[in-house]
Amino acid sequence: MIKITDDILNKYIDGELDPDEKKQVRSELQASEELQKRLNTLKLVHDTLFNLKEDEVSADFTREIMHKIGRKKFTVPKQQKYFIFSVAAFITILCLVVFGFSISAIISSSSPPIESLNVLDTVTFLSTGLIDFIRQIFSGKGLSIMGSVFSLVIIISGYFFFEMQKRSKANLGN
Amino acid sequence: MKNISDQDIINSVLEGNESDYSIIVDRYKNKAFSMLRRMLKSDFDAEEVLQDCFLKAYYSLKNFKGESKFSTWFYKIVYNTALTKLSLKRRKIESEMSSVEDYFNLGSDYDFIDVEKKDLNDFIREIINKLPERHTAVISLFYLNEMSIEEISDVLQVSASNVKVMLYRARNSLRDLILNSKLAEEIS
Repeated sequence: MIKITDDILNKYIDGELDPDEKKQVRSELQASEELQKRLNTLKLVHDTLFNLKEDEVSADFTREIMHKIGRKKFTVPKQQKYFIFSVAAFITILCLVVFGFSISAIISSSSPPIESLNVLDTVTFLSTGLIDFIRQIFSGKGLSIMGSVFSLVIIISGYFFFEMQKRSKANLGN
Repeated sequence: MKNISDQDIINSVLEGNESDYSIIVDRYKNKAFSMLRRMLKSDFDAEEVLQDCFLKAYYSLKNFKGESKFSTWFYKIVYNTALTKLSLKRRKIESEMSSVEDYFNLGSDYDFIDVEKKDLNDFIREIINKLPERHTAVISLFYLNEMSIEEISDVLQVSASNVKVMLYRARNSLRDLILNSKLAEEIS
């Protein structure tokens, strides 16, 4: 004979007792009304808990979550940021070089005032190498290479901007 | 939609169909909300924490390896976020929940409930909210989410036998309250 504890009653409800134990519990139950009451109420709790309804979140909960996800997704990915930065840096450097070349060309073609001759000489001397290099780039073969590099940069940029557009459209869809 | 498995939806989301995540949200929102509402004892906090959980899960989907069910993985996030929220609210949950052997007495709370005016469902629903957080979580996961003891032990990071102790303790408390109330006469 076993002592019927609350643990055993719970295991009985969950079907976790072996056949011998079950038998003993059943015989104890037949003998004790009090035990029957304890078990029946426990069963009732068990069944009621199974039938409890879920609580409901607010109606626009899902929409809010998806909106938050969409908003975060809209940020430009790191790789794209790096790419945009490098393209911008390349264009800026190129513009500076062209600007520098133009200025130095203007300065070397014009007659400088006498008092500032030394400074201009120094500038002209220092920029001679650079000017030659730029001349090489923008003449003959160099020009076609530069054109190809530019085209490539424009094509790749175009692809990334197209991707960004696609993402933003998808986010608006959400 | 009901036939699509969680894993299929997750794969679709990871392939770039972000909007499919709404299926997951719709699938789990009410069950998780029920659990959080009982743990945090506040509708507002429960909804706020639930939003946080869905966002956390979304941004960690890449880390979900499918070793356990998605529901187990997700409820782990829900449970841990709820505990963090509770600790932020400076409740002394650690002393309350450090051991399943801790004693909790619902008798005093029970005095405030006018049992006569309530049916059993309402009575139990109200009493569950008075249980300690961990016991409430076990009840919600076991009955509402129909999780196994092993899955619950995985979510709560305690042994299966501890989960059983908590489940039995919660059931026994509810039963004792019913037996001591006027509902017992109606039932018998």
